[in-house]
Amino acid sequence: MNRVATVIYLLFRTAVRGLASSATTSSAAVVTIAITLVLVGAFTILVGNMRGMLDRFGGDLRITAYFEEGLDLAEARRIAGSVATVEGVHQVVMVTPDEALARFRETTGAEALLEGLASNPLPASLEIALLPEHRTERGVGRVEQALEGLPGIDGLAKGQEWIDGYARAANLVRFAALGLGAVLAVSALMIVSNTIRLAIYSREDELDILSLVGASRTFLRVPFLLEGTIQGLTGGLLAILVLWLGFVAFTEPIRVGLSFFLGNAAPRFLLCGEAAWLVLGGAILGMMGSAAALSGWRGTTG
Amino acid sequence: MTAPEPGIGGSLPEGLALEQRDDAPVRMYHVSKSYLAGTFALHDISLSFGRGEMVFLTGSSGAGKTTLLKSLFAAERPSEGQILVLGRNIARLEGSAIPFLRRRIGVVFQDFKLLASRTIEENVGMALDVLGTPRRENRQRTFQVLKQVGLQHRRLHHPLSLSGGEQQRVAIARALVNQPQVLLADEPTGNLDPELTLEIMDLIADAATRGTTVIVATHDVSLIERYGKRTIRLEGGRVVEDSPATGRAA
Ligand SMILES: Nc1ncnc2c1ncn2[C@@H]1O[C@H](COP(=O)(O)OP(=O)(O)OP(=O)(O)O)[C@@H](O)[C@H]1O
Ligand SMILES: [Mg+2]
Repeated sequence: MNRVATVIYLLFRTAVRGLASSATTSSAAVVTIAITLVLVGAFTILVGNMRGMLDRFGGDLRITAYFEEGLDLAEARRIAGSVATVEGVHQVVMVTPDEALARFRETTGAEALLEGLASNPLPASLEIALLPEHRTERGVGRVEQALEGLPGIDGLAKGQEWIDGYARAANLVRFAALGLGAVLAVSALMIVSNTIRLAIYSREDELDILSLVGASRTFLRVPFLLEGTIQGLTGGLLAILVLWLGFVAFTEPIRVGLSFFLGNAAPRFLLCGEAAWLVLGGAILGMMGSAAALSGWRGTTG
Repeated sequence: MTAPEPGIGGSLPEGLALEQRDDAPVRMYHVSKSYLAGTFALHDISLSFGRGEMVFLTGSSGAGKTTLLKSLFAAERPSEGQILVLGRNIARLEGSAIPFLRRRIGVVFQDFKLLASRTIEENVGMALDVLGTPRRENRQRTFQVLKQVGLQHRRLHHPLSLSGGEQQRVAIARALVNQPQVLLADEPTGNLDPELTLEIMDLIADAATRGTTVIVATHDVSLIERYGKRTIRLEGGRVVEDSPATGRAA
């Protein structure tokens, strides 16, 4: 073992001994960090799922034009043909009432809703898919305008408004998460910093002696930074564990309810990258907390 | 055993008298220290301590003995004057350079300053830890120095299971394990019985015979007489007496 390796070993040993000797306050700091990260992580999962759904819906965003009842098939084909020439339109598909009914059954599974009805209430329609770059409010407006004057069209369902609203909601959740995360992070920071301050105080004798025999600033301070960082890392890993257990326990019973929002897609947990950021965030939080405590430390003898 | 003294050439403060031996490891030039404005703990002190020299520092309580020793390992900075220790000027030393100076100075206190939660071996080894001394070498050197103070068999014990004299021997071992060029002791026997006092003082005096500059603050007149070393008496922060060694050995 050379000197650098020995010093690194000693810094870690001091940090681990320090954590062990202040197990109670250290655990409190770990739990605080974990709570912060669980909340941030829960919001991340929520937003992630909302965005995933937006992408799916956005991907097959269709404008649906409903035909008047009793319109004959040839006339409907002619209208479909003229819609297909509108700028930005990618594809036009005709959906018969029977097809519409089959699809409703398939996507919702809500047979009961339809059972009481004697005849199929769903009208024939055109599903108009836009080119990706035209899937905007303006693109939708253009198709709307082209269809407006046409005879035989009963109404339009755009979907876009709903999607815009949903995207706004997802953004709102994200900002709420960031705001709440920031507030919690500050309180976690203060608790870690306080824990480290106590640790410094309780080890003053040792620090004095080390300083007396020529310990450098690094040698005295790095163990405390390590302690904070280890607390943060542990808090981060604990948060991931709690989130995962919560995810499993929570999503299973409400899967049917969720399917209304998510369609056939399974709700997803944190992505690997997101989980890594969460743990890293914990480590950074812990390190900053101890850095704050150290910045208020006057040092030892001399 | 003592490394060659680095030349200090241009680092000598300008305008200061050079009548002192300019190869001495510890030199003080017109040093004053005041903790409170208007009062002096040290007042215009100029002293020089040679290699291998053992010096007693005496004087009544509050005379400034502790302040003088502290200023030599940069626990206090002088308010005025210059202090050269092993070629470094304490008055101008940057904070980051202090650890490097302290690694070449051993310090012993009246209250031992041992960590109760660590073994004897670990307490002594702390002085090697800060240098990053590899574990095996750390244990070997710690063993050697504990043997020198006669405590190698107690190395795995904790300080509180040792007598006061033994604890001070551990503290001396810690101060000596880096083979310092300067050894400072502040009332090292103040807490000990007379028989133990001689045992401890002999260990400290041994360091001087190996070339270390040794400065011991003490109230104990009989000790001073017994050793017959150079003795500096402080009163009110001033040097009132600096009597050379009588040549009487202990
Ligand atoms: N940290 C301090 N702040 C203020 N005044 C101090 C401080 N340390 C020492 N003094 C004062 O400086 C003077 C010299 O103190 P010092 O401790 O050097 O004396 P001493 O000779 O070691 O005394 P003793 O024999 O009692 O140990 C005293 O008047 C003391 O009150
Ligand atoms: Mg004193």
